[in-house]
Amino acid sequence: MLEAFNFRVILEYMPLYLQCFSATLWLSALSLLGAIIVGTIACAMRLSQSRTISRIAGIYIESIRSTPLLAQLYFFYFGLPSLGVMLPEWVTGIIALTLNSGAYYAEIIRAGIQAIPYGQIEAGIASGLNYFQRMRYIILPQALGMTIRPMLGQAIVLVKDSSLLSLISIMELTRAGQLLTSDRFMPTEGFLTTAAFYLVIYYLLKGFSGWSEKRLIFREAH
Amino acid sequence: MWSFYFNELIRSLPFFLKGLWMTVAVSGLSLIAGTIIGSIWGIMRSSRNKILRSIIGAWVDLIRGTPFLVQVFIIFFILPSAGIELEAFPAAVIALTNMGACFICEIVAGGIMAVPSGQREAATASGLSSFQQLRYIVLPQALRTILPPLVGQYVLIVKDSSVVSAIGVVDVTRVGWLTVQRIPEGLMVFGLVGLLYFAICYPLINLSNVLERRMTVVATKL
Amino acid sequence: MISFKKVNKWYGELHVLNNINLEVAQGEVVVVCGPSGSGKSTLIRCINRLEPIQKGELVVDDMEVHDKKTNMTKIRAEIGFVFQSFNLYPHMTALGNVTIAPIKVRKIPKGEAEKLGRETLTRVGLGERIDNYPAQLSGGQQQRVAIARGLCMRPKIMLFDEPTSALDPEMINEVLDVMRDLAKEGMTMMVVTHEMGFAREVANRVVFMDDGQIIEVATPHDFFTNPQSDRGKNFLSSILTH
Repeated sequence: MLEAFNFRVILEYMPLYLQCFSATLWLSALSLLGAIIVGTIACAMRLSQSRTISRIAGIYIESIRSTPLLAQLYFFYFGLPSLGVMLPEWVTGIIALTLNSGAYYAEIIRAGIQAIPYGQIEAGIASGLNYFQRMRYIILPQALGMTIRPMLGQAIVLVKDSSLLSLISIMELTRAGQLLTSDRFMPTEGFLTTAAFYLVIYYLLKGFSGWSEKRLIFREAH
Repeated sequence: MWSFYFNELIRSLPFFLKGLWMTVAVSGLSLIAGTIIGSIWGIMRSSRNKILRSIIGAWVDLIRGTPFLVQVFIIFFILPSAGIELEAFPAAVIALTNMGACFICEIVAGGIMAVPSGQREAATASGLSSFQQLRYIVLPQALRTILPPLVGQYVLIVKDSSVVSAIGVVDVTRVGWLTVQRIPEGLMVFGLVGLLYFAICYPLINLSNVLERRMTVVATKL
Repeated sequence: MISFKKVNKWYGELHVLNNINLEVAQGEVVVVCGPSGSGKSTLIRCINRLEPIQKGELVVDDMEVHDKKTNMTKIRAEIGFVFQSFNLYPHMTALGNVTIAPIKVRKIPKGEAEKLGRETLTRVGLGERIDNYPAQLSGGQQQRVAIARGLCMRPKIMLFDEPTSALDPEMINEVLDVMRDLAKEGMTMMVVTHEMGFAREVANRVVFMDDGQIIEVATPHDFFTNPQSDRGKNFLSSILTH
């Protein structure tokens, strides 16, 4: 298999790969942004005093978590047209990724906020800080430090999830591999190159996660 | 028109149930094999042998850094050119088992390393061998930490099994994809698909939460 | 029984044991004391190689602990070790805790081991608590189970690393009573502790350590009434004034 690893073909397809690499990055970045926004809103709804609002957010989150992303993707890809909504594939893809990761971000943010010991807030109240000051100086800085790692973890998952977009004909990294397979019968070169690109993104994100954790995590005083 | 499609969908239910069975089969096999292999890897990963730790760690990282879809394609398309002829179902189980084993490896290793070092010291001081320590002292205690995330991982395995539909395994997702070609009501068809996955995953997620609560109670008692 | 000859140990740059020379005879009770960080815990943890030494000779019961090739299982079977934080196995009853090593290491049949376990637990005053889990026992009871766990191996030596430091004051005595009885029965013991009353009553010798070195070795009477070293004097005055 590896005796005839054809580097020339890879070089030949490299422009395509780079294009697809960039597509993967863009799709992931836009979905990530959307997911964080959706997640924050869903989290706020989940923590709301109103039972109805909380329940709506709950149904959204539980539905996403209990079903596979591919089924959700197909749901939008095949479902939206039947409602008369015709969207380019990449928009559908971003919608699916955004709503999917959004649910997970909602849970991550919720866990981060609820993990702050109530004693901290009490201390803030006792020293006269108001709600916004407590948010700004006590709660949010700590929540940020605690959630940075799971948030980046979910970002890595999102990048990997974007590979499913190849199944609705979007030109991204995995599709490049599929093309090399169908055009030139070279799945080895095709998919190993694809995997290599994904690993680059993975290690960059992991590195960033480690770097930012060191800057942002506060160790609990003993 | 809508009610016509709805009737067609009901008529297709047996097909969906067959797909559900396929999903259960693929996930179930991978789950069992993945737990066995992953536990062995996990024990190796927490050993004092640096070489063993690094090799397993490197493989786990590789699997965690690439999308599952790409792994499925690699196993399905590339292995045959190395002389191993594979049909879709075995390829799917191999890929899912491998991925599951990697994540379970990390869960098991984490559980083992969470057992307080004082326990190992006490066991060492009374002359118990490494194997005896693992079997009688460390693993029984590690099990408490391992069980909730392990069940959580099973949910992920079931959801990820949807990806193998891409190489033609006729699971619930594939049935949905095939059905929507003749019943172009994406919302209904994939709503049903979602419901079927929900029926499996939601109880499992709840089980994981219940286990987590019970284990935490026991831990604080200690 | 225990022999330290020119023993040295480092943690990276830190010289935690500095030229230790010490002989402990069979049946002796030696108390090791000193300020925090003096290396006293490290000293006894080296005896059963919970910590390795880098230089010098450490011989226990005629077996060379400093030799990396020595099989420690045999040595550890002869040494009972009691930890400051008890380290009882939470998933086993008191009986389970004390019998696991006799069964698995000394290969004693289960029935015999359980009989021995019951006797030993009764000896430390916990005959009623044989089937209780550590979570159901008080700190003092847990530490006594830990002592029984060591005794069930029928060791030649018992080592104690600050056995009462983690206990509430009202439970210290029940543990010290057990240790006193052990000493009277002739067990070879090395005890790292701050309990000076215990030392005065039961110890044959007191070893005072500071900064990784043995500063003074004397009988309890001599050390407590007339310490020779300045650091010894300072240490005694600091612990006796509260």
